[in-house]
Amino acid sequence: MKVSGADPRRARLDAEILAWMKESPFPSAPDEDRFERLAREVFRFQFEHCEPYGRFCRARGATPDSIGSWRDIPAVPTGAFKELALRSFPEALEAKTFRTSGTTAARRGELHLDTVSLYEASLMPTLRHFLFPDLAVGDRMLLRILAPAPSELPDSSLSHMFGCALAAIGSPASRFDVSAGNLQSEPLMACLEAASERLEPVALCGTAFAFVHLLEAFGSRSPLRLPLGSRVMETGGFKGRTRELSRDTLYAEIERLLGVPQNCILNQYGMTELGSQFYDSVLAEPASPRRKLGPAWTRVRIVDPETGDDAGPEAVGALVIHDLANTGSVAAILTADLGRQIDVPGREPGFEVLGREPDAEARGCSIAAELMIAT
Amino acid sequence: MNDERATVASIAAARERLAAGREGLRGRSRQQTLDSLCALLERFREPSSKLREQLEAELPGVAGFHPATVREGLVRALEGYSGDALRALVERELRGVEPAIPGGFPQTSVLLAGSIPMPSILSLLSPLLLHSPVLAKTASRDPLTARLFAASLRELDPELGRCLEVVSFPGEDDESTQAFLAAGCVLASGSDETLAAVRMRLQPATRLVAYGHRLSLAAIGPEALLEDDLAPLAERLAVDVALWDQLGCLSPVAILCECPNATGVDALASALATALAAAEERWPRGDPGDAARAEIRHAREEAEMRRAAGRDVAVLSDAGSCWTVVREEDLAWRSTPLHRFVRIHPSRDRRSLLAAIEKLAPHLAAVAVAGFGAQQSQVAEALARLGASRICAPGTLQTPPLAWHHDGQPLLLPLMRLTDLEPPL
Repeated sequence: MKVSGADPRRARLDAEILAWMKESPFPSAPDEDRFERLAREVFRFQFEHCEPYGRFCRARGATPDSIGSWRDIPAVPTGAFKELALRSFPEALEAKTFRTSGTTAARRGELHLDTVSLYEASLMPTLRHFLFPDLAVGDRMLLRILAPAPSELPDSSLSHMFGCALAAIGSPASRFDVSAGNLQSEPLMACLEAASERLEPVALCGTAFAFVHLLEAFGSRSPLRLPLGSRVMETGGFKGRTRELSRDTLYAEIERLLGVPQNCILNQYGMTELGSQFYDSVLAEPASPRRKLGPAWTRVRIVDPETGDDAGPEAVGALVIHDLANTGSVAAILTADLGRQIDVPGREPGFEVLGREPDAEARGCSIAAELMIAT
Repeated sequence: MNDERATVASIAAARERLAAGREGLRGRSRQQTLDSLCALLERFREPSSKLREQLEAELPGVAGFHPATVREGLVRALEGYSGDALRALVERELRGVEPAIPGGFPQTSVLLAGSIPMPSILSLLSPLLLHSPVLAKTASRDPLTARLFAASLRELDPELGRCLEVVSFPGEDDESTQAFLAAGCVLASGSDETLAAVRMRLQPATRLVAYGHRLSLAAIGPEALLEDDLAPLAERLAVDVALWDQLGCLSPVAILCECPNATGVDALASALATALAAAEERWPRGDPGDAARAEIRHAREEAEMRRAAGRDVAVLSDAGSCWTVVREEDLAWRSTPLHRFVRIHPSRDRRSLLAAIEKLAPHLAAVAVAGFGAQQSQVAEALARLGASRICAPGTLQTPPLAWHHDGQPLLLPLMRLTDLEPPL
């Protein structure tokens, strides 16, 4: 496995983080000291090797020597990934570029990588922990993916992730069910019906919007009762789509038409700019309230949108994610999403992402320029 | 005020009342109706009227604007909303159809949107001018204007007042929506998505008059930017940005500057920042909500990041999120969070400036133009060709004449049924 580029400091950092990923992705108690030390080292490295980021931090008076803790590390807005190539390695070493989805008219965010080793090492234990906690090592399961295959969308991190999942735990009948931009609903329906008859559990994973298409494909068909042990993972939103559903409605419809109970339906919160993902806790911690959790090498801050300071308990704020899997880029990311911390006594706190209500009406009749040029 | 959620049954009952109201208009002169609607408009215009006072007092609470901003927005916008202006508009549009006989549909359903009162006022009175009874659905952000309009009309002219029914129900109530849209004519305002959904639900014979979401811009020429003192221009632009918190389709989201060097653009950005700070003192911005605050922070940080990467970008803003000026490096469009967040784009030449505007052409409303000297009219013609429905001076974007061709359309003609009466053989 290629670990990273030529820089020995970077190679050592990657090796340490990879070791953590293999060793204890979900410890019973978070290892704060380890995260603090590695986050500072990653910051120092990126501060020195990603020039625009270094200048951005200096302009805020934040340097590796001045920060008090990882919480003081400046976060780069996801929008900057649409404008700048944020690499902490020489361009010549670039091995992979993931791009955000979007139209040709709109700018697309790009994550530049010199290695996918951390990305892949982060995603698999996380996916196993949250989506397949009941699957023994070496066991396989029927996976149907409501997204395009990596061969069709090589620059999609989501397709790449699903490709890794399929290779690692998919049974022979597992496959991608979106091609040429369309959900291939007939073969998928046939597969689901057959799985129901032979009582084989299915894991259906894909974009939220692809699930809307699947539900529409039912038409006048009778609802299915997918076998016990089946699960659904959806991700992404509806931006730019003609039809939007609230998450509650989507889950209720999935339960009604596929027979998967809502406590077996979960959302993955991830983005192209991040190397790690967060998942609803419902399968990993069925007895605890639904909240989003991530692996040990990530931290989430919920900050006051105006001041950037930590929002109070229960307060709504902007989500800032620190992800040590992002060593080749920038580890601290300011998202455009709002969230709120969810505390559970005796358990690791998580968070919820507060989406904009699909039917929320604008106060005025003006509209953001980007949306206009994208439509 | 009846704020009850409407149902299919209550909408049907309202339609019956409207049908009876229409019968009551038989034999009534259009002039009498025009007089009543002119009188109603004057009530909106008169700052000391009960109607105006109620609108000023209650709109901030429901729409999220600061009271001072609402007051100033109404003072400026309603100044031109006179009875005389309405009479002139009716004269202009009805005379144009002669010798055809103009008429309205048996009923017009009016789907209101947004939280700025003036478009709602015009949407409500236009079908009534044609004696077409109106079933109006309030906007969730402004349940007030339509109900105040209806109550005042009933008081002024009970007979005409019986031709307006106001209902409220959530947009996801499919059955009520279907019942609401079952009219000969539907006048709908809203986002492109809303209008597409409305269009899909209409009977083929129903006429749809649609007003979509739009944006406005300012285009500033070299002569303005070479002025020693840019403060007067900046103050006018700040008024355009600050009123209605930049949320109306007449609010400029960007200012494009034709300038051979960066100095003038920098100076305008600086002057605009000063003017927006002063505007915040006089007309504080309302509460934009957490999502907009987060978007503003995100957009500011994104611009700062580009600056850190060596791009020629500057961010001028207050300590909170009340106003932001981003002096851009180029003409590329970037997302705009609104709520008094404006980007200033430099352009070396006019062709590039117009080419940039052309990308937004399908959504263009108004353009405030200044500083092109003798070539001002050529610039205006070029903008008109791109689809701008209004070209005006900076500082007047928020005060369109009542007869403005919103979305490039006449006000009454799209709502009319015309009958051509030919002489017997």
